[in-house]
Parts: sequence; C-alpha cells; structure tokens
Amino acid sequence: MPTELHGLADIDRIIHEPARLALTAILSVVESADFLYLQRETGLTKGNLSSHLAKLEEAGYVTIEKTYRGRIPLTLVRLTDTGAAAYKAYRARFKKFLEKT
Amino acid sequence: MVDIEKIEKRTIQSFYEDGLAEIALGLIVLLLGGYFFAKEVVSENSSFRAVLDVLFVLVIVFGFLANRILRFFKRRLTYPRTGYVTFKKKELSPKRRVATAVVAAIISASLAALYGLSPSFKALYPAVNGLLFGVAGLLFANKVGLMRFYVLAASSAVIGVAVTAAGIGDIKGIFLYYAIFGAALIISGLAALVVYLHRSPRPAADASEGPDAH
Repeated sequence: MPTELHGLADIDRIIHEPARLALTAILSVVESADFLYLQRETGLTKGNLSSHLAKLEEAGYVTIEKTYRGRIPLTLVRLTDTGAAAYKAYRARFKKFLEKT
Repeated sequence: MVDIEKIEKRTIQSFYEDGLAEIALGLIVLLLGGYFFAKEVVSENSSFRAVLDVLFVLVIVFGFLANRILRFFKRRLTYPRTGYVTFKKKELSPKRRVATAVVAAIISASLAALYGLSPSFKALYPAVNGLLFGVAGLLFANKVGLMRFYVLAASSAVIGVAVTAAGIGDIKGIFLYYAIFGAALIISGLAALVVYLHRSPRPAADASEGPDAH
C-alpha cells in the first residue's frame, strides 16, 4: 500500500460515510440542533437521517434528547466530547492526506 | 466528496439567513442615532435632558435584551421553518482577549490623542465611526462569508466618510451616520427576511420531529 494511503486505512469509518460526515461537521459548529434543522441542512430523508443518527449515537458520538418546545415535540442532537474529538482527529487526518496527495 | 469547510461555514451562515440579527442591530444603531439627535436638539437647560438620560439607559437595556428579543422572534419565525439550532458560545482564549484589549486601548488612545491635539478632529467623528464599524464588519463578513455583510461593511465606511465630507458638524454628523447606517442594516435584514420567508415555508406540523425510531 502506498505510504500516503496508510493513514487512510485506519480512518474512522463511522464518520467517513458522507452523510454522517456532513452531520458531524454541522454538529461540530453548533451547540445543539433539532431533527428538522439537520434534515434541511443535509437534504436527507427522515428515515436516512434517523438511521445515520442512530449509528452515531451507537458509537457514542452524539446524544439524542427527546423534549418538547411548548406542545411541539423536539428531537435535539448534540455532539458528545468523544464525537467532537473523533471529528477533530478525522478532519486533521483527512486534511493531511489531501495535502500529501 | 463532502466539503467539510463549506458545510461548517454554511452552518454558521444559516443563523443569519433570516435577517433578524441585522434588524436587531439596526434598531440599536437607530436608537443610538436618536439619542445623538435628541442631544443636539434639546438645550442644556431643558428638563428634557433627564428624558435623554432615560433614552440612553433604554438603548443600553435594549442592547442587553436584543439577544432575548432575537430568540423570541426566531422561536416564532425561524425554528418552525428551518429547525431549531443553538450555537456554541466561543470563549476567547486569554491570548486573544489580551490582544483585543490592546487593540481597543490603542484605538481609544489614538482617538483621544488626536482629539487632544486638535479639537477640530471632532468633525471627523462620523468618518471614524464609519471606518471602525466598517473594519469590524469586514472581519465579521470574512468569518461568516455572506456577501451582504461585505456590502454593509463597505456602506458603513462610505456613509461615515460622506457625512464627514458634507461638513454638517460632529453630533449632527454622528446622528446622520447612525440613522443612515441603522436604516441600511434594517433594510438589508428585512430584505433577507422576505427572501427567507418566501424560500422557507412552514413544513407540515409533524416535520419538526424525527421518526419514532428515536
């Protein structure tokens, strides 16, 4: 394997998937965002968004809180410290890879 | 390929998409303009001077409340349309805090020294205000990356310099600068709000919620 690809071999595959990468990139900037916001910003369908968020939650990268705004149900998503660290590491590694190639 | 930086920037931009922040800032600037205007119009001995002090306190209170008022309107206009989002409060690092304080101190000292050397420097107040707001606006526009913020930053400088060039006096000039720039901010914000409301109709009642899977 060429040396510049070594770094990519052990890249975080949970984050590397494009939809999840977009989600973590958004969540890295915000404190919290609801389902509608994430759906609009990523252009994902409800089902897709839900399944990608479930995978991120399973990995401990996001927390999903079900709450209410008045009488309207609200699903709030936050990046955890683990998720933030994983995203930061992914970003740095990928940037390094792009600079090398 | 996913452009991470573009997504991060776009997320920051989404906060300003509805124009509400500009409208709030525009109102504060207009209130400041109103204060300077009243200061010019009301004579020193008038009992209305007390009202002026109250007006100035009101401007400060409005400045403090602006964030709450902004969130109130966002709850009614923005969140139901494009979703709820809160942004991280960025704490300045000690180094940046010191650097900001030093720059502010240098600017204040320079302005005080210039005024001390020549009282006629007061005539340049509108231009100085316009340029300072312009530079701050330019830095902000660069961070957010929205074209209309570059235009507003440039217009601040142009308005300030033009008002000074017109030679209508320091306080009147300051009033005129704040009035025109405040109006420009509000017009820009209202235009952004109209476009936003047109582009982002309220989705169906259940759309703000994710599927039951969560």
